[in-house]
Amino acid sequence: MEPPTRHINPLRSDLADDPDMVELLDFFVGELGERIASLQSHLNEQRLGDLRTLAHQLKGAAGGYGYPDLSRIAGTLEASITEGGPEPDPATVKHAVDALVDVCRRAIAGHHAA
Amino acid sequence: MRIEAANLEASRPLVLAVDDSIDVLRLLKARLRHETLDFETATSGTEGLEMAKRLNPALILLDIELPDIDGFEILRQLKERPETVQTPVIMLSGLSSAHDKVTAFDLGAVDYVTKPFDIAELRVRIRAAIRTHLLLQMLAQRAQIDGLTGLWNRAYFDRRLSEELARCARHERPVSLAIFDIDRFKLINDTYGHPAGDAVLTGFSSLLRREIRETDIPCRYGGEEFALIMPDTCPQDALAVCERIRTTLEQVAWPRHPDHAVTVSIGIAGSNRCGFHTEGAWLETADRNLYAAKSGGRNRTIWSIMDAAGRSLPKAG
Repeated sequence: MEPPTRHINPLRSDLADDPDMVELLDFFVGELGERIASLQSHLNEQRLGDLRTLAHQLKGAAGGYGYPDLSRIAGTLEASITEGGPEPDPATVKHAVDALVDVCRRAIAGHHAA
Repeated sequence: MRIEAANLEASRPLVLAVDDSIDVLRLLKARLRHETLDFETATSGTEGLEMAKRLNPALILLDIELPDIDGFEILRQLKERPETVQTPVIMLSGLSSAHDKVTAFDLGAVDYVTKPFDIAELRVRIRAAIRTHLLLQMLAQRAQIDGLTGLWNRAYFDRRLSEELARCARHERPVSLAIFDIDRFKLINDTYGHPAGDAVLTGFSSLLRREIRETDIPCRYGGEEFALIMPDTCPQDALAVCERIRTTLEQVAWPRHPDHAVTVSIGIAGSNRCGFHTEGAWLETADRNLYAAKSGGRNRTIWSIMDAAGRSLPKAG
């Protein structure tokens, strides 16, 4: 069964019009596809430590690239792991990963639309 | 605390950023491009520590969660090392709990910025940290420098003398100490006025600085008295240096009193293998020789070797 095609609501960087940021945004967004793949494989193989590190790094960086929502949602994923006790609730973690993957895809779409 | 000459005109302070996220480092580099600073990056704690030691940055931006060493542990190590103990550190971290901030400040961080950071805010915090650091360096240095001559002052001399004597004793190295006193200085002041006296003091200081080695420590001891610590210098070599200073000085033509030559009397205490004498014994010996030079007719050097028994045998230069 084909997954339903989802409408993607493009997310544009707050700094997309900043000439200093053009090249940096290309780098950052250019690597988001790889980040999505890593998020999904870490989740599938339940490598929560790696998942947390990745979420932590995205939280720290994305805001500086003009994506405060991406930072916030990455923070939610990080918290779902760090504050989930010794065995974080898998459903909560999966939900947070999905939300983060979604916002990454929106950022990719928004960058290419610009 | 050793203070290196603070170069306040150094126009481009070096900032070292230690963070495991390439995205963050790239962003910092680009966003700080228009600041007057040089920027280096490290992606692990080990690399950061090594670079901090080697590059002596004016400021370190330090992440807390690093793959190899915890940022707090890095901060602790930076503050334990003499090369980096003075270097200001701004923590740049995704951890935002009050506990983490308190820990960072307790360990000696000067500021704490949470990620994601606002770049305009980070820029001004970086500027403020560098400015404060330079001013502190300048103050620390000024507090040790004689205002008139620019030589080290008495407080600095006292501390360095005990340090150098201890160091030379530990390594069984030679060391020498000289005390200089400008002859009939009061007469110069009374005859030609205080500006002329000041010109003699600053002129002698320049001569002193010119004739000594980089490792020697020249100080204004007080009034018209000067002291020179010569690490790793045997008494015979110290005598040669002092005699050169003495004979050069007597040939100087002073614009304010061309017919009045200025001379200096010098007392030296030296040792080929620094023994067990106290600073007091060294100063007394040098002072006694200075007194002998004065009473012997001035414009001369008297020196003696501090032997292991603590005796000193004065010799005319």
